[in-house]
Amino acid sequence: MDSMKSVKGGSFQPYGMDFPSLLDKREDDVPTPINGKAFTAQLTPLTPISDDTPVIAIDVSSIRIGETETGVLCAVRGAIVWNKRRTYRHLRMGPFPFHISEENKNVIIEFLDQNHLSATSSSSLIDLQIRLFNIMEKWIQMLVCKSSSNSIILWDGSLAAGTSNSPLIVISNLLRTARQRSNSVLAFSKVSKLRFLGRKITSLIWNYPPPWLFEVNEEYHSPIQHCLGSTYIARFRRNGYSFRLDIDRKIPSGERVEAAQKLLGNDLTYQSYPESLRLAHIYSTFTASEVIGIQRCIAQRFRLRVMAQSNVRKMLFGPYGTRSDN
Amino acid sequence: MKLFKKAGNTAQILSFPGEDVNKGCYLIIEDESSKRSMIVQVIDIQFANVPGMMEGLLRDSFMEDSAFAENLDPLDVMSHILYIQDARLLICKIHGTVEDGKLLSDGSWLPSRTQSTIRNLPTSRLIEFTGMRRDLPIYLGETDESTGFIIDAHALDGRLNIVTGRKGTGKSHLSKIMVLGLLDHGAAVIVLDLNGEYVNLGLGADGEKNRYHRKIHALIPGDNFKVSLSQTNLFVMMKILTFALNLPGASSREFSRIWKFLRERGTLTLHDLGEAIRNWKCNQHVKDALLSRYHALLHSGFFSDNMAEAVILEEMFFSAKDGGALVVDLSNASSTERQIVVEYMLGKLQELLSKERIRPVFLLAEEAHLYLRETYWDDIVTRMRHFGVFTTFITNQPNTIRENIYRQADNVFLFNFINEHDLEIVSRAAKVDAETAISIVRDLPPRHCLVLGSVTKDFPIVAEVRALDVQAKGQTRLFFTESKAEQIVRL
Repeated sequence: MDSMKSVKGGSFQPYGMDFPSLLDKREDDVPTPINGKAFTAQLTPLTPISDDTPVIAIDVSSIRIGETETGVLCAVRGAIVWNKRRTYRHLRMGPFPFHISEENKNVIIEFLDQNHLSATSSSSLIDLQIRLFNIMEKWIQMLVCKSSSNSIILWDGSLAAGTSNSPLIVISNLLRTARQRSNSVLAFSKVSKLRFLGRKITSLIWNYPPPWLFEVNEEYHSPIQHCLGSTYIARFRRNGYSFRLDIDRKIPSGERVEAAQKLLGNDLTYQSYPESLRLAHIYSTFTASEVIGIQRCIAQRFRLRVMAQSNVRKMLFGPYGTRSDN
Repeated sequence: MKLFKKAGNTAQILSFPGEDVNKGCYLIIEDESSKRSMIVQVIDIQFANVPGMMEGLLRDSFMEDSAFAENLDPLDVMSHILYIQDARLLICKIHGTVEDGKLLSDGSWLPSRTQSTIRNLPTSRLIEFTGMRRDLPIYLGETDESTGFIIDAHALDGRLNIVTGRKGTGKSHLSKIMVLGLLDHGAAVIVLDLNGEYVNLGLGADGEKNRYHRKIHALIPGDNFKVSLSQTNLFVMMKILTFALNLPGASSREFSRIWKFLRERGTLTLHDLGEAIRNWKCNQHVKDALLSRYHALLHSGFFSDNMAEAVILEEMFFSAKDGGALVVDLSNASSTERQIVVEYMLGKLQELLSKERIRPVFLLAEEAHLYLRETYWDDIVTRMRHFGVFTTFITNQPNTIRENIYRQADNVFLFNFINEHDLEIVSRAAKVDAETAISIVRDLPPRHCLVLGSVTKDFPIVAEVRALDVQAKGQTRLFFTESKAEQIVRL
């Protein structure tokens, strides 16, 4: 939050309606082919267990809201959704605005280092933005892992670790903390780049009636990444989708399946996706009107002059300058 | 407030929570850079099309139970988000430009979006800009900012006015204020009072005589309002026979001969007229037609041979030199009797005015379609206006007034209408664009009216009609009165 002080009294150019999202930049979405020989998988039918196990879902959203003369302004918001006996409660944290500039870059890098999210002075402002988003996400995940017990904890994404956004030490620590309190961490990926024989594993056609888990052998991962979870293809509903599901690998195999069965028995899974995680996403994500509200808040609180948005491509090429800048 | 869009004579303005803007109020867009200001009127208030609203509202519907929802928002960003989400779009009509303190009708220039400041324009300032006269003030009520709304009686003089709105919205109330206001300035007023609502204007709510008592003359046809044939011009009688009693042309000619015969003999009485018709040598069908009309005149009770009880209208006008109102109570008259009386009144007025024997009069006609013949409408708004009859039509059925009357009306006082068909009709008033009339009138609360025309220098103004300390006769009688309800409870 201190980062915002650096922008006080300056000016900023709010983004229009095409707010750039950070979520497309996740490193764990790098396409990863599965070796056919290693594909010694097994399909496990699931029987829902309704035992009132709490289901807790976490999601975080980040958005760029404008540019200053020296950097970018972004905002992060997290949401936690608790489902206990089919009653949903939620906590929204944020929005928290950040200013990332070449001037405060080193302070941010130092802060990231303390949190094991490495960055170097050569990191771009966008990279730093993603790191800040990850800090928020990991912080909320840690809060939940520490404060819950005997629960199913749902994350958005995978349990792939070893990248600068998901350092091995941080993810391992999170999973260990969860296990110590008898929690099971399940991570759902809406989009997986895992491919078998050139096709996405989530789009393979399965004739077996759901619900089931299809375990994928863990030898697939790339040399730089470590998956701290056992990877499954999960399908809970006949008319739903298939998702990549990572379950903490250090949990015994039977308990992993049991965790999925408890999720199935204690949460709604419309379209095969857990309702708690869907709500967490909905509560954390930013709508366009919220972004305008945040821009107004920042402009007022930090006395920023709002500058009209200019688009050099449009100015140079008029109606022919339609290709968006990357 | 921020100027968002301008297209034609319509401007769209963004307004935010805390800015007190109502439908019908005026705003001034001041552009310092061009040293000009634009005057606009808010005709509709909509939600601003804030992007992402649908998603936000759908999400909020999950979160309505605050027991299950918490927000950790240390910067209070949410209040800013709600501020944006509650933004409103004001649809405004452009009414002119102020340049060097002068009001111009030009609305073609474009104020700066970024540099302009937009403020409420109180009606009092609008009146200053327009230079509305207030030499002969009639206090109608209050505007939105609780300032008095006063019209000038000059703006009713020589004009055609329409007061319309659905039942119970306050039309008659406003009309009574106008009558009393005109009396204050010494005007002569005739009220064609269909429901006997105006007869007690001379009494306060407590039943005591008020300052108008001397000036209000209630005329009840057949009772204290009778006329003799000798006072009646043939021209007036022919109108009664032709238009109120549908006498055919051949019979009219015969009647005319009888009338002239009696007048020459100096025996123009009701009794002698009956005898003359009976003894007149003419076709039996004509005689029968004349006799049936004679009996209709006789039974109306409006005509009398007793000169002592006959009212001489011109004398009544002369006696009211400092203003007076003749209230013709038509509440107990049959349809034919109403038409006979109205034909007499209008014919007599025309006669007196054409000979300049009386001063011009203000005529208030309630639900005129119930007693005014078809051809009179055009007559009233054209020929009779030149003689000096300045009419105000009061109705809750706007379709009973012809479109050309709306187009020629100088002042229109519109009360609430909900029905689309009624709104479409009143929007034909030439003094306002249809969009303004429909949008504002649809949402007017009871006792509020949209005033258009000369009285407001063509600036539509919404006013709340003031209360009146007179005895309210003419209110609908109810079966389930309080005492009745008490009796039923006791049973």
